[in-house]
Amino acid sequence: SSYWHDCMHQNLEWVSKVRVNTQAVLKRAQHIQGQKIPKKQWQAAWLLKAVTCIDLTTLAGDDTPSNIHRLCLKAVQPIRYDLLKKMDMHNKGVTTAAVCVYPSRVGEAVITLKAANSSLPVASVATGFPAGQTPLETRLQEVRMAVAHGASEIDIVINRKLALAGQWEAMYDEIHQFREACGDAHMKTILAIGELGTFTNIYKASLVAMMAGSDFIKTSTGKEVVNATYPVAIVMVRAIRDYYLFTGQKVGFKPAGGIRTAQESLLWFTLIKEELGNDWLCPHLFRLGASSLLADIERQIYHHVTGQYPAYHELPMA
Amino acid sequence: MTLELYHNILGPYLNARYILYVNVIAQPSDYLKTLTTFMFFHSFWSPGVDVCSTVCAVEDDISQCASSALNGFKAWSVLSCYQRAKVLLRLVSVLGQHGQCVSELCELCGASCSSSTLIRQLQYYSSWAQLRDTLITNWTPLGVVAVVVSDDCSLYSLMLKVLPALAMGNSVIIVPGLNTAPPALLLAQLFIGAGLPAGALNVLTGSDMSLCAKVAQNPNISHVTYSGNKQDGVMLCKATAGMGVPLSVSPCIGATCPFIIFESADIDSAVDEVIETAFKKKREVHWVLCVQESIVDSVVTRLKLRMAGMKCVALRSDGDRVLVDAAIQEAQQQGATLIQPCSVPPSGAQYPPTVLCGAAPSSPFVVCPAPGPLLPLMTFRTHTEGVTIGNHTPHGQAASIWTEDLTLALETARSLSVGSVWVNSHSVSDPCMPVSGHKDSGTCTDGGQEGLYQFLRLRSSPPPLPRSSPVSMDYSNFGTAACPAIIPDDSDPASAPKPYPQFVGGKACKSVSGCSLAVQSPGGSGVLAYCPDGGKKDVRNAVEAAIKVQPGWMKKSPSARAQSLYSLAKGLEAKRRDIAASINVQTGLSMDEAEKEVELGIARLSDWAAYCDKVQGGALPMPQSGSALSFPEALGVLGVVLPDKNPLLSMVTLLGAAIATGNAVVMVPCQKYPLPALAFIQVLQSSDLPAGLVNIISGGRDQMTVALANHSVIKAIWYWGSAEGCQYLQHTCTSPLKTLRLFCQKDEEGKDEGKDWTQSHPSFMEEMWRNAVQWKSVWIPTA
Repeated sequence: SSYWHDCMHQNLEWVSKVRVNTQAVLKRAQHIQGQKIPKKQWQAAWLLKAVTCIDLTTLAGDDTPSNIHRLCLKAVQPIRYDLLKKMDMHNKGVTTAAVCVYPSRVGEAVITLKAANSSLPVASVATGFPAGQTPLETRLQEVRMAVAHGASEIDIVINRKLALAGQWEAMYDEIHQFREACGDAHMKTILAIGELGTFTNIYKASLVAMMAGSDFIKTSTGKEVVNATYPVAIVMVRAIRDYYLFTGQKVGFKPAGGIRTAQESLLWFTLIKEELGNDWLCPHLFRLGASSLLADIERQIYHHVTGQYPAYHELPMA
Repeated sequence: MTLELYHNILGPYLNARYILYVNVIAQPSDYLKTLTTFMFFHSFWSPGVDVCSTVCAVEDDISQCASSALNGFKAWSVLSCYQRAKVLLRLVSVLGQHGQCVSELCELCGASCSSSTLIRQLQYYSSWAQLRDTLITNWTPLGVVAVVVSDDCSLYSLMLKVLPALAMGNSVIIVPGLNTAPPALLLAQLFIGAGLPAGALNVLTGSDMSLCAKVAQNPNISHVTYSGNKQDGVMLCKATAGMGVPLSVSPCIGATCPFIIFESADIDSAVDEVIETAFKKKREVHWVLCVQESIVDSVVTRLKLRMAGMKCVALRSDGDRVLVDAAIQEAQQQGATLIQPCSVPPSGAQYPPTVLCGAAPSSPFVVCPAPGPLLPLMTFRTHTEGVTIGNHTPHGQAASIWTEDLTLALETARSLSVGSVWVNSHSVSDPCMPVSGHKDSGTCTDGGQEGLYQFLRLRSSPPPLPRSSPVSMDYSNFGTAACPAIIPDDSDPASAPKPYPQFVGGKACKSVSGCSLAVQSPGGSGVLAYCPDGGKKDVRNAVEAAIKVQPGWMKKSPSARAQSLYSLAKGLEAKRRDIAASINVQTGLSMDEAEKEVELGIARLSDWAAYCDKVQGGALPMPQSGSALSFPEALGVLGVVLPDKNPLLSMVTLLGAAIATGNAVVMVPCQKYPLPALAFIQVLQSSDLPAGLVNIISGGRDQMTVALANHSVIKAIWYWGSAEGCQYLQHTCTSPLKTLRLFCQKDEEGKDEGKDWTQSHPSFMEEMWRNAVQWKSVWIPTA
């Protein structure tokens, strides 16, 4: 994490040299969207894989202990047991990757999961989510408190003001402080790509976030107008690849916001496989931030197993 | 008949022999039925099974086809523009119904072409069909056009010739290659269903280029145009030499094209795209990856990473595998390192995608690219060097350049000597983009309004070449006949004929050989003057001087070029008496008439001066978002063998057309009346044109023709002369290809119809300057 300080000058130059050609990225995204998606049992397998990569999320003003409780239990049993059994996957420990909540709800989530004998990590958004427009001191305090309440993953948002002004060094310093405040918790850095203006800025922000020690970089909060899109993802994963080439460190990627269908989740896997390779196809390095996606995946799996489409009430709600 | 055709071609009995041309009137119900049959059968085909078989047309088929095409031309060309446009548009809706079928047939035949591409072409050319008489006045279709393509040519390139020819009102005989034969037959069928008159579109299938020569031989054919690989193109040139049929060649297959990545590029995108295009199984060009030295490491690292996991690419044959192995071995012996995603299979017609790092322009695999998925990687230091390396090939088809720097992109695009420049993209083609193959990559322009003129001629001028049969001639002996020795008769020094100098590199001089020719007076009664007997060495000196100044002349602002031309006109005005006198003694024209010709010449030069800033490209209406620009560019150095008619006026007209558009020129005065041109040298000497831009070399016409034909720098030859001369040029100017404008002038006095040089109609001037430029399209896609 002291990487930046070791070679500050070199890193600044690296960031400043970044160029992204928008139309070429859009063309690439279109190419990937045109790829064939796996069918039948292969599709079912990929969908189960997708389940294990989901950060099952609720980030609403009306979150209370009761819906947090429901969410956690759904995360532990994301697919109906009988369906898993039909596929002989019932004892493979299929759960989502984590649950993701607001800092004030972390405690309740931790208690529910503990009571359910689950070691599922609780992720908390922090640092003035979603806008990040609070003083640095309170943002840091927010991180510390979420960790103290038992969150083992922290999704921080970057300071868009610094990114838009090109103050990359200052942004690095902030993220680096968050990193230290996280302690042993994983840190995912939300770039809020919908508010960064250009692909080039997104690429630069990705690099700086990784240099400052992020374990993951994440597209958006889900609260901006533009969220996880394929072209943006291409820009970010290229930055991840670039960072890996230079440092040998693998940083994870988390698209979030607007991912609702099983079909889309398969496309995301295609994109990761094409751009980063198989190493990244696991919950350590790839997460899908979603809330309603799980229901659609479960429906598709139901269809795969039984051959008929279920009504929503046939599958347990989150 | 239609049904039979389809049943036989597309049915399960694949080895039978069938009809080769489609010129029957089909009932609409018929073709629908046949299409259904086709759709039914094709689902049973599997890869590796012969799609269908076609047989070689015989003489009878050709003559039948040609006469049906002539009838087709009559029926098609009398239609109104609107009616022709409507037929093309109707085919769009037919393709809307059967597009799937067409593209699947293309896929099966290995000539893949999506129906949306075809629809775009049809829509583009239907609007030109509609507006032909409105926007292109005074031009008329050629007649029957034969479109010939090689086996490896794509359907897109084929249709890029067929559709403009049809849109302009010509009828077309397609001689397709193996790949394009079935889709061409199907399209012809659909066309007839869409209301194309019978005979307006014909398809003749055959096995090799000999069929094309037989087709070209038919007197009903007015023009032959070719698209495909270079070898077959050259064969066609040689085979049709002397037939009196103009041939335009677009060797779009097999060119070497640079893929230039500057340090200011989006490297990730550039690497992804080069991987996508360079390792295709069917690729039309050989890419050479040129990378700026400062980013070569990061490009190579990304190539390695992005290529990991790629699988072997199928080669066309085991023979190709031998070539690939040999190329790789040679490359490794020269120290090239390889990037390969997987191990090389010990044998068989497949090979892994391979980047050859450490290539140099002199590497054998760069000079002579092997088939298969091989991509040489070269480095360059500066922007200028990148352009130099990109230009240093015999080919001039296309280039892909990658940079986010707009100024650099545009500067590089202008400096590359290629027909298409793709900025931050590659392999983008659209019918609205006019593209001429530069250097060895073609003799005509395809696409855009500019590409239409290939299929049109001026209403006012007759076809330039009379149809003839090739005479058997010894090409190596052409132009070597010794000129009669001159024994000067200096009995009376006062009346001794004056020796004229020629004009090379800005200097009036004698010929290198030191020999002279006697210029006869009009009645043939005596020697009028002596002119230098120029040859190869004189042409060499002239071209040497010309290439030094031509790039600078082309880069000059149009108004600066105009100023020089105005002052040339002024210079001619100052010497009008001398020049008129030379016309008078040379041609026997009265002094009044001679002065009138000079007067016209002065006006003509002023016209060309005014044209300098009117010859321009523009922004093109591409369907995708981005900026597409077209630029007219000078051909380079032109060789002109001047006509006998109006010796001064024709010379200044051609000279003006050439230099107004930025070319340098080597002119050969007509052998019969050389004096006006030689007298014009004094005007040139007093002008401010750069020394070497205009050269005048007198000499035996055939001898000079040989000298021009055998200099590779000369990109185009405009020739007025004998039928043998035309045949010689058509046969000889094939590597590199030269753009030929040939006019066969009859030798007998008074019978020469030819061009009317005194006309000053705008389209007469337009034809001239269009012949003096080549087009470049630049595509800059944006989001």
